[in-house]
Amino acid sequence: MKRTGFLYDPRYLLHDTGPYHPERAERLEAIHKGLQEAGLLGQLTRIPSRMVDMKWVETIHAPEYIRRFEELCLGGRRTLDCEDNQMCRDTYEIAQLAAGGVLEAARMIMSGEIDNAFCAVRPPGHHAERGEAMGFCYFNNVAIAARYLQTAYQIERVGIIDFDVHHGNGTQHIFEQDPTVFYYSIHQHPSFAYPGTGREFEMGSGQGYGFTKNSPVLPGSSDDEYQRLIEKDLLPAFKAFVPQVIIVSAGFDAHKDDDMADMRVTTEGFAWIMRTIMMMGEQYADGRVLSVLEGGYALDRLPELAAGHVRILLDSK
Amino acid sequence: MFVSQSMTRKVITVSKETPLLEAQALMANSNIRHLPVVAADNRLEGIITDRDIRSALPYDMARGRAPEEERRKYAHLTVAEFMTTAPATVTVFDTLQDALLLIQEKRVGAFPVIDADGKLKGIISVRDLLRAFINVLGIGEPGTLLCILVENKVGQLKRIVDAITEERISFGSVLVARYWEKDKRAVFPYLLTNNVIRIKKKLQDMGFTLLDPMQWYLDQLPKSE
Repeated sequence: MKRTGFLYDPRYLLHDTGPYHPERAERLEAIHKGLQEAGLLGQLTRIPSRMVDMKWVETIHAPEYIRRFEELCLGGRRTLDCEDNQMCRDTYEIAQLAAGGVLEAARMIMSGEIDNAFCAVRPPGHHAERGEAMGFCYFNNVAIAARYLQTAYQIERVGIIDFDVHHGNGTQHIFEQDPTVFYYSIHQHPSFAYPGTGREFEMGSGQGYGFTKNSPVLPGSSDDEYQRLIEKDLLPAFKAFVPQVIIVSAGFDAHKDDDMADMRVTTEGFAWIMRTIMMMGEQYADGRVLSVLEGGYALDRLPELAAGHVRILLDSK
Repeated sequence: MFVSQSMTRKVITVSKETPLLEAQALMANSNIRHLPVVAADNRLEGIITDRDIRSALPYDMARGRAPEEERRKYAHLTVAEFMTTAPATVTVFDTLQDALLLIQEKRVGAFPVIDADGKLKGIISVRDLLRAFINVLGIGEPGTLLCILVENKVGQLKRIVDAITEERISFGSVLVARYWEKDKRAVFPYLLTNNVIRIKKKLQDMGFTLLDPMQWYLDQLPKSE
């Protein structure tokens, strides 16, 4: 059995998005409860959350943006950049705790204290652009972690796999010119789903051309279509790229019971995706897989989805 | 939505006397395919395209790969002999819709835009129209497409728009299209948000049917009503 780290902090619940917002504290409570009831918490190594050292955030986000986020949030503004991004006074600090926790998980993997990790954080990150909050995301946790691994641990090639039902525009744009970070995303086709990017022809630019890969999926698709596209698009790409660490943007909103989009992936479908990722992790990255929560809004499905996800991290060979 | 708002204003032009090879180089260097031909007072006299030039020259010349002495043989050719005189034009007062329909009808890649005196004001190409259309659809901005099936009767669209507005969601665009059941319409609001769970439920509670986007194919629609 693997030593799997689990990042969770009750303070992540303090990021208050107001009534009726789908990206709500109950999501994390459901995940925590799911792991507890499945008897998995005892098998996991707890990862303490930490305030992030802002020098790492600054490798990804523009200083003006960070300052604006801090000032507007602490000044009591309820939204940042768009009505979607609801804030409370704690949001800025919680976003720092989320990014800092993910970096701590990365550090523990690199030091060998754990083999892999699941980070149940909020706010999520993959829509956050260099200088703009988008789609409930403020700091791009996964992007910050990728740069941290490269800078602090001389990791040359980081592979990011994003299976949230929405395209991770922020992560893609941040690394689209960078051949050292491969960004792969599978998501509902952008003509039907937020944020309207992630088409097949988006393949990176300049030096980074060929190091971005998108698999848009038509609405109503299920496990077999995800499996077909992952085998066709992701497996050969990572075989050629040979990532030294894999970071997962784990969103569970492609589930058939999630109303956010129109996908019909089953709980078993998510397990297949994660087992496939772990197989690549073992093959190329010495088992170093860092999974970070993005979306997933079906509160009654999140417990089983999180438990299934963590079991695969624990059982990976 | 007038042509004048979407056209290219800084137009690269030639005169009738411009050598053909010069026009060819101008297109290659500026990465364009259409050059309006104007008189000294900027009155439009014609248009010359990369296709006109290609068909006027032998293959190697057309590809710009011919040796210098070969090129000299064609140096006397001028734009006047190969341009289209009296080309299809639009005026600054025409709309984008006019230009879209005309471009389909005339099968050309660009129109010179002229004023009432026939003087050149700009050029509008397929590329400019596409950009304008992307703008109209709102798809340059992040958002989510909803597909709603409604009864074909007055007031339905208002109910949808009101419901969405109450949720304080901004619109990128709203398209209304025919549906294969004669008394129904398909409405496609493009909403500038990621947060659609509540509005979807609200619309369903109001009695609207949310369409599976995959069930709506343009080619299944009746050709006419």
